[in-house]
Amino acid sequence: MPSFKPTRRTLLKTGTAAAAFATFAPAFLRQAAAQDADLAPYKSAQIDWQQVSGETITVAVIPASYFENLITLAPQFKALTGIDVRFEKIPPAQIRQKSVIDLTSKTGTYATHAADPMYYALYAANKWVEPLDTYLADKSLTDPAWFKLDDIIPAWRRANGIDGKLYGMPYDGEVTIQVYRKDLYDAKGLKPADTLEAYMSNAAALNTPNDRVWGAALRGVAGAGQNMYIYPSIFREFGGDWMKGGKLAVNGPEAEAALAWYVDVMKKYAPTAAANWNWPDIADAFSQGTVASYIDAHSSASVINNPEKSKVIGKVAYARWPKGPSGKRTTSIWNWGFPINSALPEKKRKATWLFIQWAASAETQARTAHKFAGPTKRSGVNRTSVWKDPDYIKLMNGFGENFVEVTMGALQEDTDVDWRPRVPQWPAIGDTMATAIQSALSGQATIKAALDDAQRRIEPMMRG
Amino acid sequence: MTTTAVTSAGIASEAPRSDFGRVLAQRERRFAAALLAPAFLALLATTTFPLLFLVYTSAFRMDLAMPFTNGFVGFENYQVLLSDERFWASLLVSLVYTGSTVALQVIIGLALALLVMDMKRGQGWFRVIAILPVVLSPAVVGMIWRTFMLAPEFGIVDFLAINAGLGSKNWLGDPTLAMVSVIAIHTWQWTPFAFMVLLASLASLPEDIYEAARLDRASAWQRFRRITLPLLRPAIVMVIIMRTMVALTAFAAIFTVTAGGPGTATEILNLYAYRKSFTELSIGYGSALAVALLIVTIIISGLLFAMRRAK
Repeated sequence: MPSFKPTRRTLLKTGTAAAAFATFAPAFLRQAAAQDADLAPYKSAQIDWQQVSGETITVAVIPASYFENLITLAPQFKALTGIDVRFEKIPPAQIRQKSVIDLTSKTGTYATHAADPMYYALYAANKWVEPLDTYLADKSLTDPAWFKLDDIIPAWRRANGIDGKLYGMPYDGEVTIQVYRKDLYDAKGLKPADTLEAYMSNAAALNTPNDRVWGAALRGVAGAGQNMYIYPSIFREFGGDWMKGGKLAVNGPEAEAALAWYVDVMKKYAPTAAANWNWPDIADAFSQGTVASYIDAHSSASVINNPEKSKVIGKVAYARWPKGPSGKRTTSIWNWGFPINSALPEKKRKATWLFIQWAASAETQARTAHKFAGPTKRSGVNRTSVWKDPDYIKLMNGFGENFVEVTMGALQEDTDVDWRPRVPQWPAIGDTMATAIQSALSGQATIKAALDDAQRRIEPMMRG
Repeated sequence: MTTTAVTSAGIASEAPRSDFGRVLAQRERRFAAALLAPAFLALLATTTFPLLFLVYTSAFRMDLAMPFTNGFVGFENYQVLLSDERFWASLLVSLVYTGSTVALQVIIGLALALLVMDMKRGQGWFRVIAILPVVLSPAVVGMIWRTFMLAPEFGIVDFLAINAGLGSKNWLGDPTLAMVSVIAIHTWQWTPFAFMVLLASLASLPEDIYEAARLDRASAWQRFRRITLPLLRPAIVMVIIMRTMVALTAFAAIFTVTAGGPGTATEILNLYAYRKSFTELSIGYGSALAVALLIVTIIISGLLFAMRRAK
């Protein structure tokens, strides 16, 4: 009976073969995917995609599904342009610091990175990133008729521009909207709030902590991107103006009224723990049925509609921000954009621009959203045309009735470029304000004292 | 004194025998220096140089948000610092945090050590379990306390507080409670260290003194006051010094639990320096704050070392 006796040699042979397969198989698969993919929609652009073939660039992104989808498509970009893209995933809390350190040291580590729109003033003041208008105007680099810059959500382009010049190309973004439990509202005969006052009274009507249902929740944890993400909308709705007479002002009667409203909602109608909550915590609590309504990013809809965790699927509806005393609704204009690092040599800058153009193009936006093969689709595409695509609308309305209508309404009418003070000192101002808001919420200082103190701290930051 | 005299006499008697010994010794020294050099240089490059660079940076205005204002300013950062209320507030928080955590660690650690010394069985197990918090990363400890233990309505501590009739408390959202919480967390994590050191020294105390004391009818309290404490003094002072230096420069746990909040209620000096440098991007002023922390740490440990030598 012939038996199989593995010798050292056969073991080595099979081992090597297996290792070789393991090493190259993903590459083969990726290549196959790249070849399968139809590059024709890109090739209709009147530019030479292959002009800097052979370059390698590194892109810093955050670990989020909308970037994961883009990373999956990277082999198509390689096939189209011959440019290798290496992605580095950095958590949102660190990506700002890491990219600022890279930009100051001028090492050119990250050709582009997912950038916070509030940082462009700082970037532009230091000339760390390139104005994109030259790239957009260069016929050899951009086909304007194909790229259709005007199709990209105008509010986000304004958010990423300084003095009318675009510095970062919006890739994915969000608006803040009201999210509420339709069943609870209907049971009490309530309508989604049209004014901040009504939002408060709705919250009061639904607040029954003994049944473990709280009326509302807003971001409470301190941080430029946390409580200082939600408070600016309220401040603007109360008629606040960051740059009063050309001078940055964070205190004053409007600010006090806005902060008082925020503290009231949080203290009276939100779970006590919400003082330390960021948006995922709010969305988690809402999906467990313990919060009747919250105001936050529309992208949180994917969390509260997660079939594995959420208990409120089918009971969710949406509405735009309630109006403030000034009659305005003000949403966040947050988006992740891609700037070009100035420290790069010219060829790499061109390669980076080609990558940005590819990522922000209507075709790639669609391929990472409703045309994406994987399970997670994007809810923050950057183009009006995609938002009007029936397939995309159908997909998005799976999040609950009127989701697309509310999101588009907010995007078109409620955006406000001066939502937060757009100055190079923003990192310091954002942090100072975040601390002030939290000390008012925790009762460490009165509302007026907290804001006056913030103003006192901010003044020297603005002096040259 | 006598020992040095003996050795030098020994060398002196050997020296005339030949120059060979001297040459050998010199070679030995050179070889030792060559062996030491890489480590020494690495140490210089990774600790001394950054430290000097920090001091150097603190003499500049280096504000990434306003690069056009950057330049040499001499002691201006320190002048600003002296009139910065938030600096003094954070220094006070640092001192309160350090003082209370170190005191609690020594008292609880000593009490536990005395208790465990008398345990006939299970001492080994107790030691293993007690050491567990120490091996955890402070950042992990912070996350656990923040989410599992202290969250109002949802956390274990709050659950216990509600059942004990204290009612739900906003442990990290109230300025005073937040301070108490971060002190409790640090104490929870590091008391085992004090406990282990004190237990080891307790075990090495000579039994005969106690026996003599018992024959003299000294009470338990007298034995503790007059024998145990004085004999443990070197160990206790060492624990105090080591824990003080660590507590003054603590960062990770507070950063993950409260990030200095609510407001600035738990903002220790270290955290303020970090925020100034890396969030507000005022690197020069942040460096001045770090140097101030360094000076405070040196002064306090100097005092403690002097205390150790005294008596």
